[in-house]
Amino acid sequence: MSEVVMKGLKKVYDNKVTAVHDVNLEIKDKEFIVLVGPSGCGKSTTLRMVAGLEEISDGELYIDGNLVNDVAPKDRDIAMVFQNYALYPHKTVYDNLAFALKLRKEPKDVIDKKVREVAEILDITQYLKRKPKALSGGQRQRVAIGRAMVRDPKVFLMDEPLSNLDAKLRNQMRAEIIKLRSRINTTFMYVTHDQTEAMTLGDRIVIMKDGFVNQIGTPQEVFNKPVNLFVAGFIGMPVMNFFDHCKLLLENGVYFAEIRGVRFQLGDFQQKALRQNGVQPCDIVAGIRPQHVTVGEGDLTAKIEVSEMMGSEYNIHARSGDDEVVMLIPTVDLTTDVSMGRTINFTTRPHLIQLFDRESGNNLIWYDAESANNNAPVCKRYDF
Amino acid sequence: MEANAKRLPLKRERAPKKKMTKEKRVRYFKDNSPYLLMILPAVLVVFLFNYLPIYGVLIAFQDFMPGDKILSDSTLWVGFQNFERFFSDPQFWPLMKNTFLICIIGFVIGFPLPIIVSLMLNAMKGKKTAKVLQTIFNGPHFISLVVLVGMLTLFFGRYGLVNNIAAHFGGERYSYFLESKAFRPMYILSSNWQDFGWSAIIYIAALSNVDPQQHEAAILDGATRFQRVMHVDLPAIMPMVSVMLIMSIGGLMGVGYEKALLMQTDGNLAVSELISTYVYKRGLTGVPDQAYATAIGLFNSIINVVLLIIANTTSKKFSENSLW
Repeated sequence: MSEVVMKGLKKVYDNKVTAVHDVNLEIKDKEFIVLVGPSGCGKSTTLRMVAGLEEISDGELYIDGNLVNDVAPKDRDIAMVFQNYALYPHKTVYDNLAFALKLRKEPKDVIDKKVREVAEILDITQYLKRKPKALSGGQRQRVAIGRAMVRDPKVFLMDEPLSNLDAKLRNQMRAEIIKLRSRINTTFMYVTHDQTEAMTLGDRIVIMKDGFVNQIGTPQEVFNKPVNLFVAGFIGMPVMNFFDHCKLLLENGVYFAEIRGVRFQLGDFQQKALRQNGVQPCDIVAGIRPQHVTVGEGDLTAKIEVSEMMGSEYNIHARSGDDEVVMLIPTVDLTTDVSMGRTINFTTRPHLIQLFDRESGNNLIWYDAESANNNAPVCKRYDF
Repeated sequence: MEANAKRLPLKRERAPKKKMTKEKRVRYFKDNSPYLLMILPAVLVVFLFNYLPIYGVLIAFQDFMPGDKILSDSTLWVGFQNFERFFSDPQFWPLMKNTFLICIIGFVIGFPLPIIVSLMLNAMKGKKTAKVLQTIFNGPHFISLVVLVGMLTLFFGRYGLVNNIAAHFGGERYSYFLESKAFRPMYILSSNWQDFGWSAIIYIAALSNVDPQQHEAAILDGATRFQRVMHVDLPAIMPMVSVMLIMSIGGLMGVGYEKALLMQTDGNLAVSELISTYVYKRGLTGVPDQAYATAIGLFNSIINVVLLIIANTTSKKFSENSLW
């Protein structure tokens, strides 16, 4: 069992800057949780507090049921992989892997066995005698992971471990981390600013902004049920299209979304949820994912500014009034001319429209006030 | 296709050096003129003060009298006669011993001291305190030698602070400056006191380049503060230590005459007479024998060059660091 529980975790620096506000999070045993958010959102600080590299200003941190606020990092039974590997440059790969075990004064044969096992798993056996400077970025990253693995920790912390790699290697290493996870089967906390990494690796994702947790949920939840404008805009590639100055209308007990003068009757689920939440007609921001746009039909119009042929799909950047619209259209579905400068009609399926309150930015359907007040925001659950 | 494939080199070959055409050379100088201009003053200074005086070394091989021209028809060449004189001089062995002891003891104490100080300052938790201490440690470097020896007199003179305290508690007054056995400790310790902070700067600068994440990784690995110093900090500054070691060994016998001369008394002359003070005395005081003094100085420089080459070769062989 290696659960990590954060209760009201807070970090205030000496200059009174609050980097992390009141984080409440329960990470289950063997769960892979990803902390994601833009630079300066507090994700690395949160991870460092778990590692013991940052003092906890307020709140409680439990690892495996034990309060570890004042426990030294080495005694927390955690291991960490750093962004720039943090390998000891003067030591060989073997010595880098063995260092923690040597400090623990483990017998030489045990150290040798563990180091060679890990090297075998990570396919770095042939580099054991080399020094880090003689390795490529990917190989160094493996050594860094290996150094954490030999310790057989309860919790595996990773602070943007792939951000120093090029795009191709990053994809490759991401796949390797997924494989690795299935092999070592422990609790992972992973920090990244890359939402693709977050979506592909995490069992659950914690989306942070300005030191606050904005949403905690599975990749599907945060993609399909974003609780606010920030989450909706941060998760998904290309980013969600937002249409400002839209209206939520209620006529004869039926909800409509009015986008640029075009009415969309919302789907059954939306009708029920809005009714249950007692939502009154109001100004909204409507969100439509680029993947959910259909061109060549509907009453919304946009002028194409850039049209990118990506092989299997077209990436179209268009302008509809004041709003920029990005459309991701599979090539096989395309029957309309989408060359630059043309004006096209487009629409979407109404049940896929996300509805955000224009004032608060909260999703009228998925924002859960109770969980948000507890600083552990999740999307709202409905029985129907 | 085949023709193209043939042109591809099978293994990496060094491209033949192309001779620069005149046009290219002119363009090179034009393109780099700002940088060449910037380096010019440094080149001039080195040439004027380091290379040009080498010409004067010739008088070591002459029967040279003050007022003679170094190269003229009347120049009297005497080969290695001046060197032979020095080797048979009764002062030769005492001078060698005194210079060697002062230098080697000073080096053994003085070389590791700034390294230890820099590692300690770097490992301190309170960075403000470390900065204050570093400033305090740098202070003595700016004291002139005359003032430093004046301070030594104030502290260790017959009526200085140390003797006053000793007398206050019923002890005898002791003439430190007249005692041979007090000269070396006073000379070496005061030199190291004056320079350890200043010499530490270069190591502190090197330590500032250590990736903090390496320390964090070591903390998570369970390393204590001392283990972090030994496994992270010290290896990080080893290249710098190697370079400084080679340079220190290269200048080992190059101790200056000023301080020894200022501290010299008839009582400590047996240990305070060094090669440099002897050169000064023979070359510039009394009836100057500049040819002889130059020969001694040149001999001293040759020892330094030999030491430098040995140190550099050894370092190159056993580590990855060397000056050339």
